[in-house]
Amino acid sequence: MAVSMAAAPVGQSVTDWSFRAEGLTKVYGGTLRANDAITLSVRSGEVYGLLGPNGAGKTTLVKQAIGLLKPTAGRIMLGPYDLVADPGAARQLCSYLPQAPMPIDSFRVREAIELTGRIRGGDRASVRRRAGELIEALDLGDWEHTMGQRLSGGIKRLVGFAMVTVWPGRVVILDEPTNDVDPLRRRLLWDRIRLLGQRGCSVLLVTHNVMEAEKSVDRLAIISSGRLIAEGTPSSLKAADRGNLRLQVMLLPETATPALPPWIRQPVRVGHNLITVIDEADATRGIGWAADLVGRGVAEEYALGATTLEDVYVRLTGHISSGGNHDD
Amino acid sequence: MTELATSVTATGVRAGAGYWLDSYRALTRWHLAGLRMWLMLLTVVQVLAGAGFVLGIALFFDHIPATAALYVCTGVPVVNLMIVGLILGPQLVAEQKLQQSYEFVRSLPVPRTAAAAAWYTVCLLAGLPAVTVSLLIAEARYGISFSLSPAIVPAVALTAFTGTMMGYALSHAVPNPMVTQLVTQLLVFVVFGFSAILFPAGQLPAWLASLNWWFPFEHMAVIVRAGLTAGLATGIASSYLIVAGWGIAGAAASAWALGRRG
Repeated sequence: MAVSMAAAPVGQSVTDWSFRAEGLTKVYGGTLRANDAITLSVRSGEVYGLLGPNGAGKTTLVKQAIGLLKPTAGRIMLGPYDLVADPGAARQLCSYLPQAPMPIDSFRVREAIELTGRIRGGDRASVRRRAGELIEALDLGDWEHTMGQRLSGGIKRLVGFAMVTVWPGRVVILDEPTNDVDPLRRRLLWDRIRLLGQRGCSVLLVTHNVMEAEKSVDRLAIISSGRLIAEGTPSSLKAADRGNLRLQVMLLPETATPALPPWIRQPVRVGHNLITVIDEADATRGIGWAADLVGRGVAEEYALGATTLEDVYVRLTGHISSGGNHDD
Repeated sequence: MTELATSVTATGVRAGAGYWLDSYRALTRWHLAGLRMWLMLLTVVQVLAGAGFVLGIALFFDHIPATAALYVCTGVPVVNLMIVGLILGPQLVAEQKLQQSYEFVRSLPVPRTAAAAAWYTVCLLAGLPAVTVSLLIAEARYGISFSLSPAIVPAVALTAFTGTMMGYALSHAVPNPMVTQLVTQLLVFVVFGFSAILFPAGQLPAWLASLNWWFPFEHMAVIVRAGLTAGLATGIASSYLIVAGWGIAGAAASAWALGRRG
């Protein structure tokens, strides 16, 4: 391997490459707490989701990990490396796909991938081979020699993913990686993200698409207003909702929220969507109640289903994720 | 898939001269590839700008004095080099900021000094064709025979370095790209209109000549002129010191600005 093994702290053989944020706090302008004492850890090989609505502080968190922002308090460790104290090490050990478009208008697809791999320290032959693998795996062959300015947003996004993962760091940070990507290639992308974990990378996945994250992450944290408000596996986060069903009613525009019977719990209104939770035992009368709303012209339709991570997310944040059934 | 059996992640933090050189080479290629669509246009614009100064200033005179022509022709290389490093360089970074791609570039794992050196190399390479063509046009228009000396090499290299580092510091230190673009517009006006690059400092009002002395632009023209002519430039040693001082200050400011975290 062309990458040198230099600079592991003296006397330590690095076997634990876990990523740890400890009491991470970022305050802008003395008052705006974008991150508020966030503590979390990501094990090697783990795909870890950072979920939260826009403005929750997810991107602020990862920018501190990559050394673009400096925390007001707290620290970020990757194995033995203090990423806050050593931003140069942070840039080497973390690969970062930002949410913004990649600057590849003047690059051909393969060239952009290979050059980034070389900048990240890969040797020529390995980078070339892996670029080929990624182009094939992400079905980018038709655009391999196309200039970036001629690519659609979704293809550019995939090229960006290939650029940051062709020679990945110990941690791969992906900020909304599936934005603009068509459903078919999204599946290919998720396969590659899972593969990164299998190779030993920790993947920090920033998203507000809960539905996608639920299928793909090992663990996740939900962040809201700068605070970590829940953390665990998708199953453990849903555990509190076992025995419950989600009753979602799509109200007519301009319609006030109808009065709710006492057995309907945790109502959240986002746009025209009224999302509630009921006991499984109340399924029949829940359907009757919702059908009555439709019959009276208050609602357009309703849906009753098993609770998902989306429901946990809605309950905790008061938002519907962009990957939910309806956008907020 | 065989790759599954192999860990492909970077296992440690690279350091040392090899890391620096690899980063420098890769980033220089990155910049050259990123600018490929603009390099030709950039060269054409610079040649036109250089030719414009060389040919245009003669129009102010019925018969341009030979010394005035020599000052203009030996100052134009500085104009060319400043256009790339001090004006267009910051505007390109401002454009990256406006398109929000700046953070990806900043997140690349390269030493900041290698990044600055790569940018300097690209600016120098982008400026040299226009410098050459401008001098050839000057030679043809005024029948000037330049006395090229080896000193032209460090003079051009240092002038490009100082201009590029000043522009690099400006582009990275000013957070708002709109401000960067406005400042570079102002620099065009100040540097090319009121700095003793294309004419002797003695033609400026005394107060402006004194002010000019503290800035590098007049001295850039002095050291380039010294490499192109014999006996025209004076105070060459002090000019080298001043240009180098500004270059070092620009590099230090660039290092500070690049290392700064919000």
